[in-house]
Amino acid sequence: MHPGIYETVAQWIPEKSRVLDLGTGDGAFLEQLVKTRHVVGEGVELDAASVARCVQRGLVVHQGNIADGLDQYGDGAFDYVLLLGTFQELVSPADIIREAFRVGRQVVVAHSNFSHIRVRFQVLFSGRTPITRSLPTPWYRTRNLHFLSVLDFQDFCRDAGFKQQASAYFNSRGQVHRLPNLRAEDAVSLLQPT
Amino acid sequence: MPASSKSFTQGDLQDQKVAGYKSPLGVTHTHTVALPGFRTQSGFTFEKIDVSYQTLGKLSPARDNAILICHALSGSAHVAGLHPETKRPGWWDFHVGPGKAMDTNKFFIICANVLGGCSGTTGPASTNPKTGKHYGMEFPSVTVRDMVAVQAKLIDHLGVEKLFAVVGGSMGGMQALAWATDFPDRLHTCVPIATCPCHGAMQIAFNEIGRSAILTDPNWHGGNYSEAHPPAHGLSVARMVGHVTYLSEFSMTHKFGRQRQAETGVGEQDQFSIESYLHHQGESFVKRFDPNSYLYLTRALDRFDLFENRTPDTVLKRIRARFLVISFSSDWLYPPAQSRELVRLLKRANIPVTYINLDTEYGHDSFLIDNPPFANLVRDFLENGLAHGPVSGSRHEPLATR
Repeated sequence: MHPGIYETVAQWIPEKSRVLDLGTGDGAFLEQLVKTRHVVGEGVELDAASVARCVQRGLVVHQGNIADGLDQYGDGAFDYVLLLGTFQELVSPADIIREAFRVGRQVVVAHSNFSHIRVRFQVLFSGRTPITRSLPTPWYRTRNLHFLSVLDFQDFCRDAGFKQQASAYFNSRGQVHRLPNLRAEDAVSLLQPT
Repeated sequence: MPASSKSFTQGDLQDQKVAGYKSPLGVTHTHTVALPGFRTQSGFTFEKIDVSYQTLGKLSPARDNAILICHALSGSAHVAGLHPETKRPGWWDFHVGPGKAMDTNKFFIICANVLGGCSGTTGPASTNPKTGKHYGMEFPSVTVRDMVAVQAKLIDHLGVEKLFAVVGGSMGGMQALAWATDFPDRLHTCVPIATCPCHGAMQIAFNEIGRSAILTDPNWHGGNYSEAHPPAHGLSVARMVGHVTYLSEFSMTHKFGRQRQAETGVGEQDQFSIESYLHHQGESFVKRFDPNSYLYLTRALDRFDLFENRTPDTVLKRIRARFLVISFSSDWLYPPAQSRELVRLLKRANIPVTYINLDTEYGHDSFLIDNPPFANLVRDFLENGLAHGPVSGSRHEPLATR
């Protein structure tokens, strides 16, 4: 994900919130939130080496997949549940978001935008599954299951009953303010139940 | 991150000689202290209890660096370093010592033989002051909570008010859990490994096979056997069953496979290597373990239930410790699902828990063998807590109370 995504999320989260980071990776961002925003944070991560890094950083981490991780927590255990970059890899994103809203009051989702102009050109002119800077893996190795756009995500939120309270878009040049569905490579939204 | 195959061929340090193994601690000693007056959960009162224990490293001036290590079924107070007589390393020497997972340069390590054991702490083989003979079956039933209550008296004796951590695997993990719920203000960190909040039918079943072997041994005599003629055969069979449950299909295949020892008849032993391995384990166990202790301790395991007819909420809301829970993917005696359920209950009680299901292939014994991923994890978790305090480990308050 674009570094701007993490900067934006850090600004969205008030100090001392309780944060659950799903797919926390090596815990670098969660550690930053703990240190700079003084959040009480926990991570969920499947990869053993990444989990070991989280433990080295002194983070509370649960080894498991995202659904398993969410199941560990009681209702309303967190103020914010983060899904940064793993959203398009989820088998049933609607179920996961619903669970995330059980566990947290607000949910932050970041995803890649599969209708970026470079992606569109590659599909149109090469006739092949695109490989770009923000989507660097070929189709046979990518962990992405869903290929959604900024507009798709808006439709998804409307249909599933979530409100996009705030959104931010980024490409390699920085933040995108106009025509995000065409120009953004990565998107992030702060969701609330409607 | 599977441990190297070399680690496994070394095995654990309890019942086999590890060629060329050196303990950096050198010879270490156990001590025995007589603690006055102890009442068991079942209501029996001992006028005094002997407790065998070992300490390693130095207690800090602030007395805040003590780790209590709780041993498993067949362990003893001799946790690390070489035994003064046998020169054998302690049962957790792989992970306790200078620079190891539990670093004796940083921590003050305490390990005590459990109540009901047979390695120096009062147990069924001890002399009953009322009769002048061994307790045998007159020994009161022992629970995991009794073991922990005795350990609490020991740390009083050692001048430790609050433990930095309680760490244990298997039965030791149950003790760690009982510490967190029975003495919530006396530990900072709790590390239960390859354990469960209560035994299931399968775990009780395996223990019952072991007990039956002892009880039906003609030498058992209702527990009043002589030192010269213990029910050794029964205990040996019990240990053989136990050992099978501590290994994994992978470890047995890689260590023994279908290797043959000898072409023997149907009625003879040691046709396959795995057979002679189990016989060796059984025989060496008999030399160091009391059959009645085996009965009492397996009963304590089977009857262990962290909640004991209380709701999980009432028990867990008392906990103040932060947790590291570790299970092993190949452990079929204490399957990861049990640890995961424990973690779920803890988390739903708003307790900060780090849970790792380590992908090691060596079954329940994975915590006893040389296992670098396991060692690194324990070291990092403990030392982080010592250096900075838990970064985000304070107990969460549920939303409603804020």
